[in-house]
Amino acid sequence: MAKKILVVDDEPDMVTYLSTVFEDNGYETISAADGEEALQRCKQDKPDLVSLDLLMPNKTGIKMYREMRKDDEIKDIPVIMVTGFGKDDVPSMDFKKWIHERSIKAPEAYIEKPVDKNVLMEAVRKAIG
Amino acid sequence: MVRRLMLFLKKFVSSLSFKLSFYASLIMFVALLIFSYHSISAQEESLIKRMIRGAVKDSEVIKAAIWNGMMANDREVIRQILETVGKEDFIEEINVYDSSGRMHYTSRPRLSNTPTDFSANLSIKSQSGDASIQHWISDDKSFLQVVNPLVNSQSCSTAACHAHPESERILGFLEVKVRLGGLYEEIGKAGRRTITFAVALFILISTISGLAVIFLVNPGIRKLQARTARMARGEYKPRELRTGSDEMADLERAFDEMSRQINERTAQLEASRKMYKALFDEVPCYLTVVDRDYRIVRSNHAFAQTFGDLRGKHCFIAYKGLTSRCKKCPVEKTFADGWSHQSEEVWSLQGQKVYVMVKTSPILDERGYVAEVLEMSVDVTRLKQLQLELAKKEHDYRYLFENAPCYITVVDPAFNIVQTNKLFDRDFGACNGRKCYQVYKRRDQRCDDCPVEKTFADGGSHHSEELWRRDGEDTYVLVQTAPITDENGQVVLVMEMSTNITETKRLQGELVVLGETIAGMSHTIKNILCGLQGGVYVVDSGLVRGRDDRVRTGWQMVKNNVEKVSDLVQGILYASKERKPEHQVVDPATILEDVCSLYEARTRTEGIELIRAFQEELGLCSLDPAGIHSALSNLVSNALEACRKAEGPDARIITVVGRREGGSLIFQVIDNGAGMPREVKRKLFNKFFSTKGAKGTGLGLVITRKVVEEHRGTMRVESEPGKGTTFTIEIPITDTADENIMEAAV
Repeated sequence: MAKKILVVDDEPDMVTYLSTVFEDNGYETISAADGEEALQRCKQDKPDLVSLDLLMPNKTGIKMYREMRKDDEIKDIPVIMVTGFGKDDVPSMDFKKWIHERSIKAPEAYIEKPVDKNVLMEAVRKAIG
Repeated sequence: MVRRLMLFLKKFVSSLSFKLSFYASLIMFVALLIFSYHSISAQEESLIKRMIRGAVKDSEVIKAAIWNGMMANDREVIRQILETVGKEDFIEEINVYDSSGRMHYTSRPRLSNTPTDFSANLSIKSQSGDASIQHWISDDKSFLQVVNPLVNSQSCSTAACHAHPESERILGFLEVKVRLGGLYEEIGKAGRRTITFAVALFILISTISGLAVIFLVNPGIRKLQARTARMARGEYKPRELRTGSDEMADLERAFDEMSRQINERTAQLEASRKMYKALFDEVPCYLTVVDRDYRIVRSNHAFAQTFGDLRGKHCFIAYKGLTSRCKKCPVEKTFADGWSHQSEEVWSLQGQKVYVMVKTSPILDERGYVAEVLEMSVDVTRLKQLQLELAKKEHDYRYLFENAPCYITVVDPAFNIVQTNKLFDRDFGACNGRKCYQVYKRRDQRCDDCPVEKTFADGGSHHSEELWRRDGEDTYVLVQTAPITDENGQVVLVMEMSTNITETKRLQGELVVLGETIAGMSHTIKNILCGLQGGVYVVDSGLVRGRDDRVRTGWQMVKNNVEKVSDLVQGILYASKERKPEHQVVDPATILEDVCSLYEARTRTEGIELIRAFQEELGLCSLDPAGIHSALSNLVSNALEACRKAEGPDARIITVVGRREGGSLIFQVIDNGAGMPREVKRKLFNKFFSTKGAKGTGLGLVITRKVVEEHRGTMRVESEPGKGTTFTIEIPITDTADENIMEAAV
């Protein structure tokens, strides 16, 4: 049975793109448009991996990530952060640093937009095989 | 020879021993003379007295001898006695007279028996009444005459002859003349003896005193002379102890004492002379002595070592290379008034400029006149150089202070401004004496967290950013304080340097905006790129797998994103280019209607009410319709987004207002959506600032504002989080615009 990846992004084009890439590589995909929805889908569908956008309306990826890591039910699901902001763009939004300072378990990978599908797939395989 | 002899005599006569001997002998000679005279006189007197006593005694003897003869009236006996006695060598003659002066008897043979006129001898006659024995020496001093009176006695009056009555007291006189020839011879002899003795004594004493002078006084005097000469040469050493109690020893002792004192004084004098000489030479300043001719007479080592031997030269030539005296000369003043004077001079010695502080003092001669002037000159070249440097530095610092491109004020501990620089004076006017907080901030009380106060407290430098309000304008300044200390290190004043950073602040804000703009833009581009990339991938995937649905989806993604790129590029161009608006004569209502129509479908699907609050016709105006359309579209788009974001169950309404008010055209877009926090409001007109995530370009309001500015209009925004936002655009419809209308109409 194919492994399930939850694609979280408020941008429909991004969801389409990432879902297509994952499906072409033999994964099953589900999607969510914001953090709130993503948490629900995690609990409900128990995906094997979450591809998470950082900036979204309703609940940002950061907020969702923190809650996810606190929730025993879903805290061990691997997460690949997909973000449009690199630390060079806006220093105040250095997510890696932010995570590190709060001693929260770091996500399995960071992928910056625009997404290189080979890099992305490598990270996915490394996380869930 | 004679001359030498004369010289010797003169010397001898003027010598002390001669004078001493001469005057001693003279005094002795006079004394002996007086003594001899008195001695001879006394001897003469004594011999005469003896002679008289002898003569009186003889006359008494004769009187007694002849007494019996007279009593017996025996004349012959009387004559014989007289003759016998009269033959004695020393007897000249013996006469007997009666009371009437008639001679009755005489020792002279031829006159015997012949009466003698008694009146011939006046002296006897005058003595006739006197009963005492009289005597005198004859005028030619050849004999002594003694007259012995023959007094009546009882025997006479009662005698048989009874020749004399009892009443007759003096019966006659016996006259004895004694020869004096031998007496004077004796007197002469005695005189000669006395003189001989006196002369012998004089010679003896003179000789002894002369010898005494020669042997006792002269050697002492010579010794003293020699010692005096040695003393004069400074060779004499007084003996410690001198015995002897005579005047010479006293003199020698006195001489030694004098010599000791002289030696002592001389030594002291020599010591002080050496000291003053050493002082003169070694004193660490230039000492020169100048005479009335202004020539250097003496100079000390310091002067000679530095400038060489300039003695004999005129001071003005030596010091300054001048050809005549200096105009203001302290030496001249000292010569004139005898006082000390002081001046600062610049010497030019051996090509180097020497700044000296000159003090003159008079050197007086024995009459108290200023003979020379001592010049004491202290080299103050280094000091002067430092002074000049200091003055230059002070000038430089003053220049810096005055012309520094920042406000500089100096404030005292009571916060009074005591000094200001030019820039400050220019912008704030004269403020000396006023409180700094009054001037800077128009406050009545000290500011909290005052850097000046901190500097007064800890002596350190402090800085703060301050906002000054003046003439209704805000000025941001960076205030840096620095302590000004007194010589004890106490902070007495504080300097405030205030740099106007208003422009910097503005630029800083713009930089932040620029940074945010670029970040926003890159984010937008990344999103578009991702969309494109995704679309391309999905198309590829569809083609590979023969899935048309994917091809269609992917191609739609590509088209959407290409459109976004197109919009973005147009937006950037619109926002950044100096685009000249293309004015047309239109009715603003038509533009408003177009915009509302554009968004009506979207609002309806999202359950948002869109209210058209404008009349169908607002009248023709000259506007750039495309620009106004774009501006209003952006506002409505924002309102839509705000309504979407709004939380709560209220019905969302967007009201689009358009009306003419006076000479202006008013557009308003009002929503009751989410509203904006301050932070968002601040960044509202920044390029590429967007709250819409991937859907916004961040250029909407920038374009809106640009359009409004192109129409010389204004735009304002009122917003409150949770209540909604109102954007108001006011565009003036000017006469020029009317002219344009006419032009357009024609």
